Amino acid sequence: MNSPLVPGVPAQGHEPAARRPTDWKAASVQRRTRRRYAAERRFRLIGLAAVWLSAGFLALLLATMLWQGASGFRQTRIALPIDLAAARLAVTPAQLRERGANLALAGAGLEGVVDRAAVRAYGQHGADLLSDGAWLVVRDAIKRDPALLRRSTTLAVPVASAIDVAAKHDGAPRAEAIVARLQARGVLSTGWATGFLTTADSTDPTRVGIWGAFKGSLLTMLVTIGIAFPIGVLAALYLEEYAPRNRWTDLIEVSINNLAAVPSIIFGLLGLAVFLGTFHLPRSAPLVGGLTLALMTMPVIVIAGRNAIKAVPPSIRDAALAVGASPVQVVFDHVLPLALPGILTGTIIGMARALGETAPLLMIGMRAFIAAPPSRLTDPATVLPVQIFLWSDDVNRGFVEKTSAAIIVLLVFLLAMNGLAIYLRNRFETRW
Amino acid sequence: MSGLAIVFVVIGLALIGWLAARMRAATFRKPGVARFTALPVHYGYFVAMCAAIPPLLFLAVWSLTSPALVTDAVIATPAAAALPSPGFERASILSEARALAAGRSHGVFHALSGRLAPAYAAAQARYDWIATAVALLLAFVGGGMAFTRVRPDFAARTQVERGVMLLLLAASLIAILTTIGIVASLLYESGRFFSIVPIGEFLFGTHWSPQVIDPRDPGASLGAVPLFWGTFFIGAVIAMAVAIPFGLMSAIYLTQYAHARTRRWMKPVLEMLAGVPTVVYGYFAALTVAPAVRELALAIGIDNASSESALAAGAVMGIMIIPFVSSMADDSIAAVPASMRDGSLAMGATSSETIRKVILPAALPGVVGGILLAVSRAIGETMIVVMAASGVATLTANPFASTTTVTKQIVDLLTGEAEFDSAKTLAAFALGLTLFVITLALNVVALTVVKRYREAYE
Repeated sequence: MNSPLVPGVPAQGHEPAARRPTDWKAASVQRRTRRRYAAERRFRLIGLAAVWLSAGFLALLLATMLWQGASGFRQTRIALPIDLAAARLAVTPAQLRERGANLALAGAGLEGVVDRAAVRAYGQHGADLLSDGAWLVVRDAIKRDPALLRRSTTLAVPVASAIDVAAKHDGAPRAEAIVARLQARGVLSTGWATGFLTTADSTDPTRVGIWGAFKGSLLTMLVTIGIAFPIGVLAALYLEEYAPRNRWTDLIEVSINNLAAVPSIIFGLLGLAVFLGTFHLPRSAPLVGGLTLALMTMPVIVIAGRNAIKAVPPSIRDAALAVGASPVQVVFDHVLPLALPGILTGTIIGMARALGETAPLLMIGMRAFIAAPPSRLTDPATVLPVQIFLWSDDVNRGFVEKTSAAIIVLLVFLLAMNGLAIYLRNRFETRW
Repeated sequence: MSGLAIVFVVIGLALIGWLAARMRAATFRKPGVARFTALPVHYGYFVAMCAAIPPLLFLAVWSLTSPALVTDAVIATPAAAALPSPGFERASILSEARALAAGRSHGVFHALSGRLAPAYAAAQARYDWIATAVALLLAFVGGGMAFTRVRPDFAARTQVERGVMLLLLAASLIAILTTIGIVASLLYESGRFFSIVPIGEFLFGTHWSPQVIDPRDPGASLGAVPLFWGTFFIGAVIAMAVAIPFGLMSAIYLTQYAHARTRRWMKPVLEMLAGVPTVVYGYFAALTVAPAVRELALAIGIDNASSESALAAGAVMGIMIIPFVSSMADDSIAAVPASMRDGSLAMGATSSETIRKVILPAALPGVVGGILLAVSRAIGETMIVVMAASGVATLTANPFASTTTVTKQIVDLLTGEAEFDSAKTLAAFALGLTLFVITLALNVVALTVVKRYREAYE
């Protein structure tokens, strides 16, 4: 029995050389097995470490922001004894009940009264201890209770930024010394920074707030979703349900896939050149920001929409066609409602990305200092991420905690949006 | 009437047309008539469409052209004779007069704009009335003619559906228009740039310092090679050195080893890394990572360590990309047939040997495609480098030294106070064009690789 086809078999009619069974007990084999198992354990551990380290980066990031930002929601206040009766402000109780109360109090020189009270209480540099907005707290207290005008009282007013930093973290040596002295007198207290969520940008870190940026984000997102959602859904319907397979639809498909991967700053350049350069729309406006972000978000919605529409089984369409519905009726009355949860999930994810986007908005000028919340789509505005970017650039130490606090607010919104998307996906996930 | 008010009136008219047509069509249904070509609601939509679409299209075109018409009318008035010749000052006076006329501004900077404002208001009012009249006429004529066609034998459904199809087609064409818009605006502005600076000097010059541009030889300080190198170094070398091991090993662990419950929890946690806005990463890099990196470099004896090092920006960017690499690797590992894996295990190979010698080689094209996409994303990433990388362009391979990137320079060039037509601002568009071309090429190659590979096992 000769077989040249089977190698290793001796040719001269001998029995094939018997292969000795592996001796699993042999030292060399055992060593080899141990080594292989050790390699296996190592590999597995490396994998585990990669997962945990990646999650650890996230935890570190979140912890850093929380650690630094938590104090941004709080504010150091100083007890300010103030004798408003002695100051004899030229305001009548009737003025205080009207809408002009703020103007009347400002015109009556309340700011100077507050500064003088600080000097009386804390020495000749007393006024420097107070935040620029301290007199606003006194003003609001008077508006709440006009009886204050007739007596002396003690109000807790915000301190200047340097003192605030020194009271909460390590500040400049001089400020630290002042804080130690004030704490020894027991006049410092801490409270919620009430203005942080309700006011807009300012040059003084103790007076800044995110409401202006938040409102800008809201208006911008309104424009974005108002444009990107209908166009994205309609384009997805066309491409998935009606489009003939030809060169034109291929071109549309390729451009949509490419647009989804174009760097966001390129959309900023487009917005700058087209919306500002050609159409002369107003700079820094939520309208232009929303248009730019809509072009960026639309491909995401189209891609998510196509996947959701593709997942609707053909039997639904066939059944509708069979009872006499036209192709348009099939899609709008049957396919679209069934695909809507999937489309919404994709839309929310796209909107979350747009909400966190900064670079294209820098290009169209949304990095201006804007101290009033926008009230129209064409007003100058800024958005939350850009506000974070602007504050992060500020050399004033007081802005560090405000930046982190604004990041916390932004992250809360993004996590809520992503959580909603995951919830929707799980809630409406249909197994056909 | 203001623009928005006309739009609302037109929509209101369309709504009335919808109701009227629907009510009239409802009377067609008499006992004994078995078939209809359309439901009453289709007649309603048909009339509403005819009443609303022509005036809305007209208003869209009008809103683009009328500002120029108004300005022309103002310039024709005698008060405008004192205007300076075309240029920056003239434009600023005109825009101030426009703002004054619209009641958006209170103070006057140029005396002339105060005198021009009434002319502006008058011209604006005249053109607004023309727009209102034409829009309403179109709405009434369109709606009325459509209403006369509401008869039982009229196939309203077919007409409406033709309109719907046109709408769908228009929506999908916007993608193409956006692409064309990007390419055209980048090409146009870059063309203007390259008429000032030779393309060769821009692409191959090694000196980049746009702060001081010599007007006689602008190309000498606009050589982009250091930017390309910095972008490549931060985005493709350092970021990938972080993202590939972490992303790949996470994907392997989660698909091959992890308990189903761990996987269900860990995957969304890793995906959260991708959901954090880049401005937050940038802040994290600038505030926490960069000083730490600098301390580390000083500790190991590197004296030219920068607090805006390439390493800080690149490493944080790598962390941001981890979930991206991980999910691409996950997909391609999942696409490897189970029989290949089972065969290897049946031969007595350990899991890690199976992964390294069978699964990874089989999944390699997909993994490589995913990495290329990740590189494309890293080099287009802006905020991290804007906040953590330096603005000084240097050709260095030292990760502790400072480098700059294309995206960082685009932001720096366009957020200064320079006028729009200088070589400096136009250079940003040339950089944008380069970035667009490079990322596009990377995406196309990556998508082709991934696609071709997916088909191999199906």
